[in-house]
Amino acid sequence: MNNLIFLPIVLPLIASVIAAFFPKKLNLSRKFAQITSVILTIMTAALTWHVLTNGTIVVQSGGWEAPFGISIVGDGLSMILVMTTYIIGTAAVFYAPSVLDKQQESFYFYAFFFLLISGVSGAFMTGDLFNLFVFFEVLLIASYGLIVLGNGKVQLRESMKYVLFNVFSSMLFVTAIAFIYAITGTVNFAQLAERVEYVEQAGILTTVAIILFFVFAVKAAIFPLYYWLPNSYVVPNAVVSALFGALLTKVGIYSILRVFTLIFVHDTGVTHQIFIWLAMFTMLFGVIGALSTNNVKLIITYNIIPAVGFMLMGIGLYTEDAIAGSVYYLMHDMVIKGALFFLIGALIVAAGTKDLREMSGVIQKFPLLGWIFFVASLILAGVPPFSGFIGKILLLRGGLEQEEFLLVIIALISSLLILFSMMRIFIRGFWGDLMDNISDDRKRVRNLTIPGVVLVSISIFLGVGAEAVYPHVESIANMLMDRTDYISSVLKE
Amino acid sequence: MIYAVFAPLLFAVLIPFLSRWKEKVHTGWLILPVPFLIFLYFLQFVGPNFEPQVQSVQWIPSLDISLSFHLDGLSLLFALLISGIGTLVVLYSIYYLNHKEQLGHFYTYLYIFMTAMLGVVLSDNVFALYAFWEFTSISSFLLIGYWHYRERSRYGALKSMLITVLGGFSLLAGIILLTIVTGTTSIREMVAQADVIVDSHYFPFILAFLLLGAFTKSAQFPFHIWLPDAMEAPTPVSAYLHSATMVKAGIYLMARFSPILAGDPNFFFLLSLFGIVTLVWGSFMAVRQTDLKGILAYSTISQLGMIMAMLGFGTDVALFAAVFHILNHATFKGSLFMVAGIVDHETGTRDIRKLGGLMTFMPISFTLAIFGTFSMAGVPLPFLNGFYSKEMFFDATLVNSASGPFMEALVAALPVLAVIGSIFTFVYSMYLFFGTFTGKYKEEELPQTPHEAPKMMLLPPFILILGVITIGLFPEMFNQGLITHAADAVFGAENNQDIYFWHGLVPAFYMSVAVVVLGITLYLTKSKWEGIYSVLPGRLSFNRVYDWLIEKIETGSNKVTTSYMTGSLRFYMVLTLTAIFAITLGVLIQTNGVNFEVTDVAPITTKELIVAAIMAIAAIATIFVHNRIAIILIVGVIGYGLAILFVFYRAPDLALTQLIVETVTVVLFMLCFYHLPNLQKSTTPLLTKGVNVAISVGFGLLLMVIGVSAYNSRAFDSIADYYIENADPLAGGYNMVNVILVDFRGIDTLFEVAVLFGAALAIIAMIKLRRDKGAK
Repeated sequence: MNNLIFLPIVLPLIASVIAAFFPKKLNLSRKFAQITSVILTIMTAALTWHVLTNGTIVVQSGGWEAPFGISIVGDGLSMILVMTTYIIGTAAVFYAPSVLDKQQESFYFYAFFFLLISGVSGAFMTGDLFNLFVFFEVLLIASYGLIVLGNGKVQLRESMKYVLFNVFSSMLFVTAIAFIYAITGTVNFAQLAERVEYVEQAGILTTVAIILFFVFAVKAAIFPLYYWLPNSYVVPNAVVSALFGALLTKVGIYSILRVFTLIFVHDTGVTHQIFIWLAMFTMLFGVIGALSTNNVKLIITYNIIPAVGFMLMGIGLYTEDAIAGSVYYLMHDMVIKGALFFLIGALIVAAGTKDLREMSGVIQKFPLLGWIFFVASLILAGVPPFSGFIGKILLLRGGLEQEEFLLVIIALISSLLILFSMMRIFIRGFWGDLMDNISDDRKRVRNLTIPGVVLVSISIFLGVGAEAVYPHVESIANMLMDRTDYISSVLKE
Repeated sequence: MIYAVFAPLLFAVLIPFLSRWKEKVHTGWLILPVPFLIFLYFLQFVGPNFEPQVQSVQWIPSLDISLSFHLDGLSLLFALLISGIGTLVVLYSIYYLNHKEQLGHFYTYLYIFMTAMLGVVLSDNVFALYAFWEFTSISSFLLIGYWHYRERSRYGALKSMLITVLGGFSLLAGIILLTIVTGTTSIREMVAQADVIVDSHYFPFILAFLLLGAFTKSAQFPFHIWLPDAMEAPTPVSAYLHSATMVKAGIYLMARFSPILAGDPNFFFLLSLFGIVTLVWGSFMAVRQTDLKGILAYSTISQLGMIMAMLGFGTDVALFAAVFHILNHATFKGSLFMVAGIVDHETGTRDIRKLGGLMTFMPISFTLAIFGTFSMAGVPLPFLNGFYSKEMFFDATLVNSASGPFMEALVAALPVLAVIGSIFTFVYSMYLFFGTFTGKYKEEELPQTPHEAPKMMLLPPFILILGVITIGLFPEMFNQGLITHAADAVFGAENNQDIYFWHGLVPAFYMSVAVVVLGITLYLTKSKWEGIYSVLPGRLSFNRVYDWLIEKIETGSNKVTTSYMTGSLRFYMVLTLTAIFAITLGVLIQTNGVNFEVTDVAPITTKELIVAAIMAIAAIATIFVHNRIAIILIVGVIGYGLAILFVFYRAPDLALTQLIVETVTVVLFMLCFYHLPNLQKSTTPLLTKGVNVAISVGFGLLLMVIGVSAYNSRAFDSIADYYIENADPLAGGYNMVNVILVDFRGIDTLFEVAVLFGAALAIIAMIKLRRDKGAK
């Protein structure tokens, strides 16, 4: 039974390989991808449910006991994130046929897609620092494949920056692993946690931890390391942007969450205080970016950044409320970012342009798209009773309990400005007189809207039905703060 | 009760489906019974023997968020206003809005608002209250933007949303603090712990956050600027949201929390100050307006200021008068908005400069307006409810006491400011009434020939005016059943006041007389002193501040962002490395992590030194060479050097791998570079180069220091020993590296292979897609 926990990582890898065999047979590829995703999602949901009710599952790969083999750990946190990944992935494969042109689709889109899912799931579930690096590489190589898909000149230029930045952070990652291994003699999370605690994170360890933080911060797009993000997320196809926006930065923030709640927690006065400062700047500069442009897709892209700031804020505060807030916000943000990129892709098709100055009155022709976008904007800004709100009150409560008033005020102002940046799109693009350049292809726009509708519904459920979800998040936060559950499940002491 | 709150929302959801019959029946008729039934439901509680009602439904118990409704006197007053005026507004809108408009949208927004507003005034749980509160802002946004093809509507909608949501977020911070301090989310339980809250060191923040929430919502100076622009909404909305109900949410909030907050003298100071300033400023600005709804909007601002000030006074008379005036204001202002809407509807304009002499064309509207405006002006007549509450207000300004120089100055100024504000109130009321209905009839200026509105359209304002008169004639009837209960709730104790018309020759009476006399004088001489408006506010309006802010937010953020998002990879790298360098160095120093000792490291032999030197020289040389082929060859030198080092350290398999990789890459690079143009000599200025060098060297040195320190800080046995011991006995292999790769850490290898698979696909996609495109 326990070995099944491997499936969310291994099955998409196999699916990826299978999909690579018949890329030109589009109908077959689509059906294969859709059916596989749905089945995998159901399976992951079952596994997640099992973990949430019966506790953490650990598999030692190859039967080599920890810390000598690689531990795959399905704890609550990992599983809910993997499940969210699968939900977004499934929405994406249904969205893809209407938004990709046939050529893009036939050049291994589905193979890259499954590879990406495999890498992301692996990153969420591994219990081993070096293995995390490997999964980073897997998801990155898949993302390289996806980002150049289409092969425009601009796309290649921005992909280049994306690749180089990521290569740099990978280098730094290996270096940091080497340092950590030199000091502690291990790369297993659980054993690292024990050993770092044993020496009370003394000496050079905190510095090394900060380097590791920067590695993840580049991926998570935290101030001041997010320069690569805006343009490289704007140039690819909408479905690719949605996958990136929903999943990739979240892997970074998850890694910070894991490492800085499990391993490096003995000098929070230094490390977590830095997070709080960086969170403030991340929120502010992110939202300033979102207000700086008339490119609707870029507005959504910049909005990834303040959300990362919110999650980092919770990690920095490091109280049970705040951590629960970060976890909830992480789930919420994956779903809503996916939805927004889907919807903005639909908007661009509907309006025939990305430029806000050239669109107007879209809601008159596409009311469903307009209203779903409106609701999604409210969700993003954290308006109750939707999913953003639950995370937000927890984070704010955490901040106020710690008397970080500046942080709280900045968080609130950022929320307001996020709403403003979204309302600019709604007021200028959806409201107003109907423009001529608006698309007549109602069927295509509808197909592009539905995946967004599904994700927004999930997001509404995460808010209104929080009682079904929050207790689990609370116990996850509890386990993250307590740490012993994770360590003892892996090391079996 | 929960059904009463959620019924409008349910219908809001159903409305789009009702639109099937839209062609035959105006949607308004179909849903008119909803608010009326809610009104009847709440009406049953009215009476001298009213007892608070409680009903609770769990929602998110693990976060202590529930839909618990608590109906006390204050809530009852508001619930009746919301449902009662709601009914009248829906009826009115049936005639106001044409069949062809998007009625479904209008009523959906309106009914969402109804639920939200009922929720605000009935919720006992602070988070539920907050959720409903935000929804009043959102529905107001949608209603203001109802005619979204108009530029002004969009402007007004955004403005109201930004300002009220700003307040909403502030309120959220305030209530979270309250829950932290008291450990409960129920308002009633918080009231029970009032002294704990006031004594808490969080209190200044709680007060500030809550006040900001209330002031923005209730359009207090200087946040009042959104309300005049909200008049772009259809008139039924202005009558309903923007005078009778939603804008009083801030008032409600202050009234609800005043048993807690009033324990602090700052509450008195801030609320009275902002309230009275708003009163004066609003009435002063109202005289300047030319749009009927503009006058009414500023009038609403001013009246809200008056109520807010009374809540600040906190004396029993003041609180009673505040509650009383909430009711009175809703009646006369609601009817005036409706009359203004009728004038607009039947003449085609709301510009008071074009109107005049409508008395003969619209006699019923004229009659309604007399009662409305005179009540608003506080003319001392026994059938106008406005006079009663105004007189009590004057009374209330006279009995405040406080200590401290600022407080005392304010207390002394209050009666004077109250009179000034009331004088202007009198002036604009007269201006509004006489300017519209008397004077010269300007036929040529009017887009339509005026005539009286349909009877059913006159019915809602008529009912409200009936309310004005009934309250005026029989105040005690309303007092015992309704107002006293509400006043009790706000005061936190029995608060039983008698309402009379004639108080005797008391100071308040002289104040009223002064208002009337000076008001008439100023009204008659209005053209002589109007010039003052070019000085005050002149260019100093808060609207400009808002517009400037919005403008600056857009241009400023663009400037900030483009200043660092240059698109230059090198620049990004510089910023990134500098940040990492600075913070890491800071941490290194602060945690005292340096452990730089070289005694423990293995001795460096000459041959190693030579190889290392060659590698270093090669690395530096790459910067100075400007030929691609040369560069790649030099980079190759570094790679081969590394391979040699591997040989020295007895890792032949690594050396072999490194050699193969290095050779293949060099060859591949050479093949590619053949197709590329020659490198340009870089023309970066010396300073930039210097900075780049400093960053590179600094970063390298930092990593070296950390690396050596890390090496010196070895605290544990490495897990490597296990591999050495067990490679053969457990895994059956003699080459430990191989065993690690394929067995101990086989997953790593599996997925590294997957990486290669992905890379291969990516390359195929990149090359072939381009070729296919070329062929097209």
